[in-house]
Amino acid sequence: MKKHSSFSHIVSFLFVGYLLFGSFNDCFAQRDTITNYYETEQIKLPKGLRAETGGMDFMPDGRLVACFHLGEVMTYNPKTKTWKKFAEGLHDPLGVVAVSNSEILVVQRPEMTRIKDTNADGVADVYETITDDFGMSGNYHEFAFGPLKDQEGNLFMALNVASNGAGIRPEIRGQYDSLSREGRMYSCVPYRGWVMKYNVKTQKLEPYASGFRSPNGLGFDAKGRLFVSDNQGDWRGTSPLYHVEKGKFYGHVASLIWKEGFPRVKPLSLPVAQLDSMRTRESIAFPHTEIAHSPTQPLLDNTGGKFGPFAGQLFIGEMDYPRLVRLLMEEVNGQLQGACVAFGDGTGLLKGNNRLVFDKNGDLWVGHNDHGWVGDEGLSRIHWKGKVPLDIMAMNLTTEGFELTFSLPVDPKIASNPELYKFQRYYYKYHQPYGSPKTDVADVAIKELTVSPDGRKVAFKLAELKAGYVYDLKMGELQTPDGKLLMNRAVFYTLNQLKK
Amino acid sequence: MRLFLIVCGLFIATKSFSQSDTTITLQAITGLQYDLVRIAVKPLQKVTIILKNEDDMAHNLVFTKPGKRLSVVEAAIKMGDKGQAANYVPESEDVLAASKILIPNTTQTFTFMAPSAEGSYPYVCTYPGHGYVMYGALYVTTKPLPPLATDPNIPPSRQNTEIIVSSPHPFALEYPLLYRTFMPDCSPAAIAVALTSTHSYCFDAGKCYLRYAWAGGFVDNTAHWKGNGNAFAKIQGNIYFKDNVTYPLRVGKVDKLPDVSFKGYTLANRLPTFNYALDGVEVKETLKSLANEEGLTRVFTFVKPTTQILYFVTKADDGITYKSSVGKWQNGTLTIPKGTSKVTLTMNRNKAQAPPAAAHNH
Repeated sequence: MKKHSSFSHIVSFLFVGYLLFGSFNDCFAQRDTITNYYETEQIKLPKGLRAETGGMDFMPDGRLVACFHLGEVMTYNPKTKTWKKFAEGLHDPLGVVAVSNSEILVVQRPEMTRIKDTNADGVADVYETITDDFGMSGNYHEFAFGPLKDQEGNLFMALNVASNGAGIRPEIRGQYDSLSREGRMYSCVPYRGWVMKYNVKTQKLEPYASGFRSPNGLGFDAKGRLFVSDNQGDWRGTSPLYHVEKGKFYGHVASLIWKEGFPRVKPLSLPVAQLDSMRTRESIAFPHTEIAHSPTQPLLDNTGGKFGPFAGQLFIGEMDYPRLVRLLMEEVNGQLQGACVAFGDGTGLLKGNNRLVFDKNGDLWVGHNDHGWVGDEGLSRIHWKGKVPLDIMAMNLTTEGFELTFSLPVDPKIASNPELYKFQRYYYKYHQPYGSPKTDVADVAIKELTVSPDGRKVAFKLAELKAGYVYDLKMGELQTPDGKLLMNRAVFYTLNQLKK
Repeated sequence: MRLFLIVCGLFIATKSFSQSDTTITLQAITGLQYDLVRIAVKPLQKVTIILKNEDDMAHNLVFTKPGKRLSVVEAAIKMGDKGQAANYVPESEDVLAASKILIPNTTQTFTFMAPSAEGSYPYVCTYPGHGYVMYGALYVTTKPLPPLATDPNIPPSRQNTEIIVSSPHPFALEYPLLYRTFMPDCSPAAIAVALTSTHSYCFDAGKCYLRYAWAGGFVDNTAHWKGNGNAFAKIQGNIYFKDNVTYPLRVGKVDKLPDVSFKGYTLANRLPTFNYALDGVEVKETLKSLANEEGLTRVFTFVKPTTQILYFVTKADDGITYKSSVGKWQNGTLTIPKGTSKVTLTMNRNKAQAPPAAAHNH
């Protein structure tokens, strides 16, 4: 019955389409795909560059500045398509912020550095240590991420914990403490596993928040709230994105030993329930293999609409899949939580989407990386072609379910079919082992489905709504009355707080 | 553990320069040349050549009998149309060993026995037009090689530059050259500096002092840059100086180690000057090579004239003869008076410690 009605609808749509547009090809034979809306271009690289991109930003004059694993900082002029060396010799730089056309800030393994060209020859000659006030055991996994500059000029960075896949060096930097050595990932020098804030007024590096594992991505949302991503692993059932606030603990236990006033106990000796009660949950959990394996840098779409309809939302990179992820966050009971949905699938984007930055024209530049991980090398630019795709703009929690908002009106006849929607819920365990299976998986029945008269919203009342679960919604082929297809049909909502 | 690493580091350095190593990587690089212009092996030694073509043209590698380079090159040209199929290697008793024609970004490994007669055996690219400039010399010998600058068996353009390392970067390597990397026997915040392609030192940016210096090459970061990054950079050459006091500069009291703080570095014509503070005394230190790589000069500039006595502490067994522009030496310790703005310290390698003539141009 359902099939029949859909089929007859399609037939009538075809006919109308044919009448309206005259050409069969225009409206239907070519399936509506993301390439109608976004295109991806690979940037030609200079000969000899191993483009394992650690950081990217734009200088005020429009040149891209990017740093790479082998220590180079290169500039690229998009107008002339020329690459030039700006700096070299850095130790695994994983982030860059442009200060001016001749000055940048970089976080490399041992420090945060200000790099300047003071004699105007185009190549840096001053490398000032802004801060190196954190420990290094020499373990390879102690990557350092950042900087991220806030409006007052403070600089955030994030410090990986060490891996028990390797030891530490005979000579280390910082005070040694063996208290967390037993874990898979350990923090034996301060402040591994912390997000740090370089306070521009005091010129000191302050420990800001603990509980991180491999926080390869820092970004602000439109309100200046700090978000930091992390990777699936021990104490990470699946990869998370945290809203990071001062003093809070975000779950990975090794870093607790550097918390002021924390008792001299091995964090691993504490009951998981106690650790669980201490931690702040992720705003968004990225269901492993469903949407992401290894999320990277969150970036606010601050283009004011030059990149399509998603202004004000966050994008986040992803290493293992040729895609980005788009975040639909909302505040519930004063806490940020929300949904994630794929972005860029099918645009020709590569894997290894490690760093993101918008240019002045609203194009999104992606720096790829495959260093020691799945991925690709190179740089790409994603350009919005000017038309709005049908996509999910919001997923909001209601008292009894969820409400989806679409970028375009959906055809109510199609959208009102409850068989097009499948809700499932599950959670990921908070525990020491590496990752977690989906746990307590259950289908959730739809009690009531409402399509708003304008076709922009679809609301669901669900049979059950429980905090602490991911709500996984898979949809059938929704479309607009003129045949535009829904670009992403899977969305995942992290429900920490029920609506009061 | 620390001692072990020192020993280990020396062992690696020695090994890569030993003639027992019969595997030689030779690269065809931009500018019709091989990266190495001289190779030394022992008579009757088994030699494995890994030939990499890093250039954007096709090349081969042909070893000939002494003095036969040009005749083999000309015989290859005469092969004409048939040359390509035969890799431009003429049938001749004068050819000892040869590779195929390698297109860009390909590699071939081949092995041959070094002749029993000592001598200089040319190696050359016989691809038409290349062999007049693209060549080098395989020395079959147990003796030191002649000075590079007057060696008639290598291209004149290469008589100055002992080593040309193909750049891993999108730009040519220029010296001085600096890498922040993981170095053995140093804190994890290490800086490796090549003053020239064959004279290098390791500055500890965590502990703010010169850790050691070596001659014969720079560092190979290949292992560190690939995989998870756990590997140290590999020192290429022989360490001739290692600081064996915990920290050489002392402020006020000779036996008190200062609190140090690294401030970064500036580059002047690529030469770094390190900025750091010890017990609040702000120091700028520039290291330069002495002539013939006989050691280092270290210029310490104090941002403000010193208000306390400074000491520079050395130990006798470090293979170095020290001289200073300022202050007095007593039992290996230099006393630098108050009011000093600049000290030039000369570190001469003791002759007894001088390494044997380089016999292997890695």
